[in-house]
Amino acid sequence: MGHRNIFQVIQMGLDSESVSSVGCGCESARPLRVGQPPRAMLNPSVLRENPEPIERDNVERTESVAASSRPIPLSFILMAALAVHLPLMLIRLPLNSYDANFHIFFASHYVHHWFNPWNTKWYAGFSQTTYPPLPQQWVALISHITGLDMAYMAVQLAAILLLVVGVYRFSLLWVSPRAASLAALASVFLGSESFLVYSAGQLATTSAAPIYLNALPYMFEWVRHGKWRSFLKASVLFTAAAAAHHATLLFGSFFFAVPILALVMLDRQDGERTPVPAFLLRTVAIAVVVGVAIAVVLLPFWIALIHYPVTQAPIPHPSRANYILSPAWGLNYFVVPYGALILALPFIVLRGSTVVRLRPLLLGFWVAFLIGLGGTTPVGHLLLGRAFEVLTMERFSYWATLLALPIVGLLAAELIERFRMRAIIGLTLAAAFTCAFAVAWVTIRPAGGEDVKVASVAAWLNRDGHDNYRYVTLGFGNKISRLAVLTDAGSVDGEWNSGRRLPELTRNGAGSLTSSKYFGQAGLDALRAILRHADGYGLKWVFVRDPYYDPLLQFAGWRQVDELENQTITVWGKDGVPPAMPVNAPQIPPHWQGILWGTLPFGSSILAILVVLIPAKRRRGDEGESSSDRQENLVRGELVS
Amino acid sequence: MLRPSSTPQAAVENLGDKIRLQAWGNAYASLDNKAQFTESDFEHDLTGYHLSLRTYATLESFEVRPLHASNNEAEVQLRIHWSSVVGPFTDTRNLRVVRNGDRWNVDWPLVKRSVVPPQVIAVNYLRWDVIYRGSGDDWGVQDVEAPHVRIVDMHPVQRAEGVVVLGELLNEDVVPAYVSVRATLQSKNGSPIASEGSFDRISHILLPKQVTPFLINFPDANLSDVGSIRMEPMSSLVSASADPVIEIENQQLNPAPGASVTGQLVNQSGQVVNIAHVLETLYDKTGQVVWVADQYTDRALLPQTPVPFDIHIPEDLARKVSSERTIASTYSVGGFQ
Repeated sequence: MGHRNIFQVIQMGLDSESVSSVGCGCESARPLRVGQPPRAMLNPSVLRENPEPIERDNVERTESVAASSRPIPLSFILMAALAVHLPLMLIRLPLNSYDANFHIFFASHYVHHWFNPWNTKWYAGFSQTTYPPLPQQWVALISHITGLDMAYMAVQLAAILLLVVGVYRFSLLWVSPRAASLAALASVFLGSESFLVYSAGQLATTSAAPIYLNALPYMFEWVRHGKWRSFLKASVLFTAAAAAHHATLLFGSFFFAVPILALVMLDRQDGERTPVPAFLLRTVAIAVVVGVAIAVVLLPFWIALIHYPVTQAPIPHPSRANYILSPAWGLNYFVVPYGALILALPFIVLRGSTVVRLRPLLLGFWVAFLIGLGGTTPVGHLLLGRAFEVLTMERFSYWATLLALPIVGLLAAELIERFRMRAIIGLTLAAAFTCAFAVAWVTIRPAGGEDVKVASVAAWLNRDGHDNYRYVTLGFGNKISRLAVLTDAGSVDGEWNSGRRLPELTRNGAGSLTSSKYFGQAGLDALRAILRHADGYGLKWVFVRDPYYDPLLQFAGWRQVDELENQTITVWGKDGVPPAMPVNAPQIPPHWQGILWGTLPFGSSILAILVVLIPAKRRRGDEGESSSDRQENLVRGELVS
Repeated sequence: MLRPSSTPQAAVENLGDKIRLQAWGNAYASLDNKAQFTESDFEHDLTGYHLSLRTYATLESFEVRPLHASNNEAEVQLRIHWSSVVGPFTDTRNLRVVRNGDRWNVDWPLVKRSVVPPQVIAVNYLRWDVIYRGSGDDWGVQDVEAPHVRIVDMHPVQRAEGVVVLGELLNEDVVPAYVSVRATLQSKNGSPIASEGSFDRISHILLPKQVTPFLINFPDANLSDVGSIRMEPMSSLVSASADPVIEIENQQLNPAPGASVTGQLVNQSGQVVNIAHVLETLYDKTGQVVWVADQYTDRALLPQTPVPFDIHIPEDLARKVSSERTIASTYSVGGFQ
């Protein structure tokens, strides 16, 4: 279904080839010296206000000169993405990431309980309506054919491919098709994307962002030209993006959508004029419609959030550290995600600030960039307030890199134009290094620590009625999600901190119990509190992979009852614990919410696919305006080199 | 970030930061008296020479308090708050800080490693083994009669943090027992208010005829709301031994202000006890339990080597206390006592 859309985009790129050649060729015929103030820089509006008709002679004359200025076909870029990421997916590398098993665990629940979001396997019961479900539901659906692990890989790979298209289309708003295609190619090797996919395992973020990027050009067309089809497409894509990850939409509105609106304002005098009242009306219209659509599609999520806001004590996260004072985290959250993009930062700032049309993009990038630096600057704290203590910052770096890509594409285009093969080799090496480093990072610094084998633990829990009681693990890292997928037993621990409601966990400001010791006194207090109430939760079993916890268990009245995995895992039990009873929590969503949760978010994605397939109606005059726009972009792009 | 050690306080704060970062080399290098011991001695003074509570403790925070100072010398108190798996503990050191030109350096008061002289210790103790039917026979799922245990004393106390239920439990049987106590507060109309267990304020293994105190906390509960308390002592048969024997020496009840019970634990066995848990039962003149206090030792108990303990008694209860009884339960790596 998506092929046709991709084909349209490719077609759009092909349509613009001749135009690109004109602009680029004209300017390349006038060599510039470094430091020479370019005409467009001195007065960028000159070209816009006096668009000179493109003469047929010029087209013919320059096409041959500027053979290298054609955009790279999108099909080629998609194949490059497949070549790079498909093998990594086939060897299931993302399974080593921090959160991959978390998403698979959520998906495994949807496999068995599509319409019942109450999951009893963690926290003695929690609602999955606390987390937007779209990518996980797709994993669940595909898993009926491929199994959960490969379904995860399929969805993740689809997100990567969609990102290529999204970056290309988003970049086309800002730069020439050639630069946009290079930006799309750069997205294949983007360090932050590989970091999130292979180290962090943020399926929701990496799924929502491409959908969002694909929605933005439609929003531009709606606000700029008032195209109803674009309005419809933008609305359903925005809604689907929110169904994948609400935070992407929330913050994306500021980082991505506001610059697009600013771009409309900047362009409003070109070609077909956009009156300010029309601009305001269209902006409000799409904001209201999308807001209502998201409110309906994610209704159970909002109900859960309003009734049970996240008021628990903040949990420390290294992405909020000061990267200068903690260089190890700086490496993890800055150097790895940005990679060779760090070298492009001066150009991004310089070009973004000197070219008026790129300034909104630069502003969005700059704010996301500063917030992504965590506690290195006070910006994140000042702008986000308490949310700074709840969110993790690596996603902001991800968004920052996405926002930077159009300008990076511009840089790449100019470098190739100027230095030809030397630039191509250099850029290829830089991209390969960035991608390889980010992919290898999960091996250099494993997200979940040592490899913990949980199959034997699951087998132990699943036999002899052991799963009549709840359990907790100590020293298992992020493998508790994998264990939860494999076992029928419930736990009082989990990895979705915002979904937990047990007071022992929420009031202490620590993450998972299994990693209690890494949260200092807060973590150990939480562990002691939950063990203290073991009887009430039917918590009978503790699986220990770290003897650090042994003294507490022994003094608190637990006794070792078995050993697993060559005595590397000990099983502790407590006598007199009653079997686990279902928790009658007020957070259990009513049946109608389960129905909504099982239909609307997933339905929004189906609708988005169908609606995007509606062919675009070509307006008279489109060709001319877009041609001049792209020419202008290209001219600006080339002059400041 | 580290500051220049231009004042005694800054020198101690810098040392505290280095200890927090476990930058032992840097911390050792900054000491004035480093020639008197090695870096390894310094590190083990803080983390324990043998595996103990200190070994895995992490520095949570520290306080620096100047005691007095002259032009060239000062005394500064460093209170290090460690977090450990069984709870926080505090290490207080009074440090002499000396001036070297523009800088101040800490004179570290090293607690030297205890060296046990070569000797033979005769071990003669009772041991009870339990034979299970097989590996599938989970501990606790037994078809034998549970050891007879009895609560010999119990009463609730209202404290600022809530209701506390205190008491003592006796193993009346001739076999060892794993024990725990659960209490349920019931309102005047008989409905349950809250239910809590003794957790670690009890010695869970009781040898025949042995008595353990217990303390059960009910945070935020109010005694005036309580009509009755249902006590549920639980016992099951377990393997146990009397080894290691921990002797309590020089036990002393110190009156208020700063009321406490002090003494020394002496490990009479030939093996290292990594962590000891001291449970102190405090009685009034009538012999009723007034309070149960406890402390974990932060240093390992080497054979025949006294390790001091100092257990704080709440000031408002100190006047009521007329006698006390101390027991210690132990944890040794590789053994389950």
